[in-house]
Amino acid sequence: MPDASLVLGIETSCDETGVALVRVHDDGNELLTDVVASSMDEHARFGGIIPEIASRAHLEAMIPTLTRALERADVDLGEVGAVAVTAGPGLVGPLTVGAAAAKALAVGLDVPLYGVNHVIGHAAVDELVHGRFPERVMALVVSGGHSSLLLVDDIATDVTELGHTLDDAAGEAFDKVGRLLGLPYPGGPHIDRLAREGDPTAVRFPRGLTAAKDQARHAYDFSFSGLKTAVARWVEAKQDAGEEFSLPDVAASFAASVADVLTAKTIAACRSHDVTTLVVGGGFSANSQLRELAAERCAEAGITLRIPPIRYCTDNGAMIGALGAAVVRAGVAPSSLDLPVDSSMPLTHVTV
Amino acid sequence: MPVLALDTSADIGVCLIQPSPGPGPGSSSGPAGAPASWRMPVVLAERRVTEQRRHAELLAPLVAEVLAEAGTDRREVTAVVVGTGPAPFTGLRAGLVTARTLAFALGVPVHGVSSLDALAAQAFAAGLAGEEVLVVTDARRREVYAARYRRRGPAGPDGPVIASGGTAGAAADATAPDVAPGAGWLPDVELLAGPLVDHAEALAAEAARPGTVIVGPGGLIYPEHLPLTPGAPLLVEPAVLAALALARAARGDALPTEPLYLRRPDVVPSAARKRATG
Ligand SMILES: [Zn+2]
Repeated sequence: MPDASLVLGIETSCDETGVALVRVHDDGNELLTDVVASSMDEHARFGGIIPEIASRAHLEAMIPTLTRALERADVDLGEVGAVAVTAGPGLVGPLTVGAAAAKALAVGLDVPLYGVNHVIGHAAVDELVHGRFPERVMALVVSGGHSSLLLVDDIATDVTELGHTLDDAAGEAFDKVGRLLGLPYPGGPHIDRLAREGDPTAVRFPRGLTAAKDQARHAYDFSFSGLKTAVARWVEAKQDAGEEFSLPDVAASFAASVADVLTAKTIAACRSHDVTTLVVGGGFSANSQLRELAAERCAEAGITLRIPPIRYCTDNGAMIGALGAAVVRAGVAPSSLDLPVDSSMPLTHVTV
Repeated sequence: MPVLALDTSADIGVCLIQPSPGPGPGSSSGPAGAPASWRMPVVLAERRVTEQRRHAELLAPLVAEVLAEAGTDRREVTAVVVGTGPAPFTGLRAGLVTARTLAFALGVPVHGVSSLDALAAQAFAAGLAGEEVLVVTDARRREVYAARYRRRGPAGPDGPVIASGGTAGAAADATAPDVAPGAGWLPDVELLAGPLVDHAEALAAEAARPGTVIVGPGGLIYPEHLPLTPGAPLLVEPAVLAALALARAARGDALPTEPLYLRRPDVVPSAARKRATG
């Protein structure tokens, strides 16, 4: 018999095929297993994710990943009581494979289907690590694909997007700067490594959308494209002048600008909305300077900081299982079997 | 022992059939030990949506609908059959992942059959003249998917068939459509060339070979190079896919569900670039 409290989560918004099993409890949901297959190696040589390659990989990985997840959790598929799947945002081809698989499971097992929001999943996954969210939390979701500031009144039903990036995502800016500094793709982790050896105050790079004139419209929005250009100009000027410069210093100064803007705006949002818990999620939360500065500024402001371990910050099934478990717990109505995937699913929609 | 069959190589077709093992009237004997033919399967319920885009949205609801209409509990389904293309990527994948995952959820086997095989078998079953069939379907980008077939086994009207004799047990159900309307028998088919993807013009010489019957929607799009034979089937019948799959499975053939993409992926990185730790 299906167990209404056992949720299977499927994530396929980009290059990772993720499947997780999460059990719903009143006091905090429990992750039974989380299995991820990635096609990243196939994309690296192209310098970016190739949607068609990712989609083909999702098709081939789906049944093996489902099988492994069930084996690891020692769960019979017939025990699953609900299926949650990423409905968006993400790449259409990859999203389509996951959604079709989830629907087939819902029909084959005769259980409800929940199409959920990937970005909100990046916040929800922290409930599996640090327990249920208090009444109101702020969530900063930063990765190669997203940079969003979310006010979470209820993770299952009531999320407000306070701001987002107007151009590049934080991780994307890191990759682009990595490329212009001649580092291999993806450049983010390389910059982070270099930055740890450099002086973050060596160069004062601009802080996007922090000027007084931007406060009215873009208090909680981000922009990293001007910063990327500033780094490029600075490096070119040095090279044109034949001057030597320290790559670690440039990396550290660039990373400092990103971390400064992200944390300053987030802390300001917590203050103005009377929120005392901050959740940071998404793959970019692995960034050293962001972690350090967030910890320092949250401590100063009396804000509790929750960052899940990095393996839960990257794209995975656990985040979708976590959000699925939250919406099941909240009694949210299931999605329709004909749910469409939405590559730019709005962050006001937790489910479809 | 109902079998669910679906195809998303062009539009969306889903059906639930009841196979009828045992020799149909007039069938020849097959290879040692294997049943040579069935009576025509009964189509319990069928859905077709002439939509080329929203496969992943519409497919699962259609599966649920045919089960409901047939009054068949999902746990009674004994196999899932899927058309493996060739077809444009996204719709084909929606069909394949649906079939594989549904079979996984039901704990039953999943069988793959080329969607072009079904059109070829339909052409022979429709009694179209000709020794060979050239199947052409729309590959978009001004190209077609193509494959050439003949009947499996000795050619001619006396060759072996995999299903015949009308719909067994369907006499009471006048609304059940025949799997292969017309001839009342269905042969298996043998691939002679292809499948491949090419410009219609490049296939014109092949299409002009004497005795070639041309079928499939590619002929509607490029009539100057691929003139359709009158009465040519244009839509893949999922029930024919199912009949082919069951006959082949009974023979012990492997029926993989690998997609027939026939094209390499376009390697343009997505605009929304993402780092490894996304
Ligand atoms: Zn993500």
